[in-house]
Amino acid sequence: MSRTLHPYIPRLVEQYETRAVSRREFLRTATLLGMAAGSAYAVAGLSPTATALAQGTPRQGGTLRIATTVYDVNAPWTATTTAHPLIYSQVVEHLTRTGVDSVTRPNLLSGWAPSEDLQTWTLSLRDGVKWHSGRPFTAEDVIWNLTRLLSDEAGSSMLGLMKGYMLNEIDTGKTNESGRAIIRHELWDANAIERVNDATIRLNLKAPQLAVPEHLFHFPAVMLYPEDGGTFGVGRPGTGAFTLTEIDPGRRAVLEAVEGYWGEGPYLDRIEFIDVGGSEQAIANALASEQADAAFQVLPDYFPLLANREHLQFYDVVTADTAVVRMNVTQEPFGDARVRKAMRLSVDAQQASDLTFGQFSTAADHHHVSPIHPEYAEVPPMTRDVAAARALLAEAGHPDGIDITLTIQQNPPHHLRNATALVEMWKEAGIRCEINIVPNAQYWDVWLTAPLGMTVWAHRPLAVINLSLAYRSGVAWNESGYANPEFDALLDQAESIPDPVVRREVMAQLQTLMQEDGPLVQTYWRKLFTFCDKRVTGFQMHPTYAVFGHELGWSDA
Amino acid sequence: MFVVTEHSPGQVSARILGPYALESQVTLLRGRLGLDDPLLLRYGRWLATLAGMADNRLSDPVIGLGLNDPRGARYFGNLGFSLMQKQPVIDVIGRRIWPTLALTLWSVGIMVPVALVLGVVAGVAEGRVADRVISGATMVLTSLPEFVTGVVLLMVFTGWLRLLPGVSTLDPGDRWSVGAQMVMPVTVLAVASGSYVARIVRASVADTMRRPFVRAARMKGLSQRSVILRHVLRNALIAPVTVILLQINWILTGVVVVESIFAYPGLGALLLQAALFGDLYLVQALTMLALSVAVLTQIAGDLAYRWLDPRIGR
Repeated sequence: MSRTLHPYIPRLVEQYETRAVSRREFLRTATLLGMAAGSAYAVAGLSPTATALAQGTPRQGGTLRIATTVYDVNAPWTATTTAHPLIYSQVVEHLTRTGVDSVTRPNLLSGWAPSEDLQTWTLSLRDGVKWHSGRPFTAEDVIWNLTRLLSDEAGSSMLGLMKGYMLNEIDTGKTNESGRAIIRHELWDANAIERVNDATIRLNLKAPQLAVPEHLFHFPAVMLYPEDGGTFGVGRPGTGAFTLTEIDPGRRAVLEAVEGYWGEGPYLDRIEFIDVGGSEQAIANALASEQADAAFQVLPDYFPLLANREHLQFYDVVTADTAVVRMNVTQEPFGDARVRKAMRLSVDAQQASDLTFGQFSTAADHHHVSPIHPEYAEVPPMTRDVAAARALLAEAGHPDGIDITLTIQQNPPHHLRNATALVEMWKEAGIRCEINIVPNAQYWDVWLTAPLGMTVWAHRPLAVINLSLAYRSGVAWNESGYANPEFDALLDQAESIPDPVVRREVMAQLQTLMQEDGPLVQTYWRKLFTFCDKRVTGFQMHPTYAVFGHELGWSDA
Repeated sequence: MFVVTEHSPGQVSARILGPYALESQVTLLRGRLGLDDPLLLRYGRWLATLAGMADNRLSDPVIGLGLNDPRGARYFGNLGFSLMQKQPVIDVIGRRIWPTLALTLWSVGIMVPVALVLGVVAGVAEGRVADRVISGATMVLTSLPEFVTGVVLLMVFTGWLRLLPGVSTLDPGDRWSVGAQMVMPVTVLAVASGSYVARIVRASVADTMRRPFVRAARMKGLSQRSVILRHVLRNALIAPVTVILLQINWILTGVVVVESIFAYPGLGALLLQAALFGDLYLVQALTMLALSVAVLTQIAGDLAYRWLDPRIGR
């Protein structure tokens, strides 16, 4: 199918040439609007393959062992961790792929074309992609998978992600044990997912959305083989470069290369994911004693152990991965915006960041928009002002300060470091805080209801994705209960503007609003890193921990 | 255990779908699994499923969780599915029990003779140099938690000397042999339990050595060796046998720390992961297993008592 460029792209090129938008803004926005990544990079005067080439040419064959946690993957649509797709995404693939550079490219798609109003997305399937069974990959497969992912019955987190622009809510008239209405969902229009022909589908959205290609890379959104009823496991067909030959959850998973893969590679014969018991210490030990060639990720605590190992190469990536201390505005004293602002004013984000991660983080500024996001707007930083915080508390009726409890997860250990730093800073402003540490699974029982909690928010390539998921009024993951019509209106506006320059103006207002009124204290952005054997080529640390097995290989060196 | 883990029906369905599921999705699944029923009814259903008299609803294809048990939905001993591993609990435990048994056998096999010898030597030489050295060393080792011993061994043998592997996943494709991978976990367990057993043996032997029948045996002209082997040991071992059997119980079900440090794929690490994840059915099954092992070792202890001191049975 021939595609026409989105009408905004020529203007975007002009903005880049006059430096009205940064290179990052240009690349990310141009590719989302359907421009091929190669063309976008060429316009920007860059080569997207420079890193891979620097690592050398891979030889054919060999086994790579990656230390991680091996979960069972028979239900990818309900995957809840980024460790799940490490295994299944080597076999069953996404329609799109967001790279280490946070640029989203077509994967099983050959491209996409959004309408000018961003409400109609035409998705073209790549030619020559076949399931391992030999049957061609078609538009019906995509429609079957997307429809299933967006059903209540599947239980996938894709529903929450795409609900805003693909689904309608239906009140069943019944209530659950908490007395809340039981809500069902259905596609907002019978034609919401439309088949154009064998190789093309069209998504008709009920609201403009720029991030559709990035949502299609959400980790449960892999294309499963419809004939299997959507189940997955050993020997099940996919479109990927590997097939799953063995899985023993908690111990290891083995994948072997298949013939005739549609894309680059595979170079390896075999990938083994080794479970080291979910312990970060054990991951570092396995790398040190060469029992693993690479690791899913390494925490800063273990950097000194591995930094001087001559057989290992360090890989890192700057991300928008963070943890926010979110205040539930439906519970006192956080219903008062002055208290929320006092919580922010009484902390020094740079100090908290340094104490939490040292060199492996950068300070955040309490608005959940990272400098690496293309729509980031520079707004004045919020500097620590204990006197102002005290005055705000007094004004809000708390002249003697407040007593609060911060609930955090037991793991990873840096949550406690961050919480401890904040608690000590809050003390000076009269905010007396106790830390309540709970096992990770228990945290998810209270994350939507605890008055004050610390929640991890993974890297997402656009800031509006997180803002929309976490702070828009009434959405499922709005853990703070924040409901501000002004915020919602600005966010709606930001999501529908393709022009980074115009969007940045809206974002500046959004970011300032978050600093003044928002429900969060956010002090750091994480840098993710890992180590891999020096002889491995094609390896990179991905901001969402993804591993593209078909690109990995052993160098001749 | 059932009441503790399943008091909240929402918790079960939330665990299955994970933290990112919407409330509407959790509610829907809860209804389909019958988790809204009264606790007593759910307990009855759980017992019936365990006895093979009712189907396990989790594997119902209509519910669409992708959970599959090759034995079918109804069989004796059906303990449900691990929510963490999405596999039948019986299979998950079946795979993990053998490494823990191997660890137990090796640790006990090394610990018992060494602890007995050290305890007997120290007890017989009460107050002398050998006693002081052995008692001092075992006191220090008893006081050291397993995670300290484990981390110190890792620092020395993996970090500095690079003589032993850093994790013991028992992976057959590993560059280190399974034997090499067993060395540190077995050592930590043998040291932790052995030092305690040696101290008990020492105290028991020293106490027995002061008893009148030992003096009488010596006065009869028996050699020191005969006195110890024929009279002291049999009487002195009654108390340590209980301790040794308790150690076996502890190793089999409670080696959480050691297995976690070395990434050893046994029941201890599994229990920790299951508890942290909130894997209700797996925690229930592992707790039942631990209780069974505790009861069996107590019975074994009672039988050993009778063998060592027939008067107990009279």
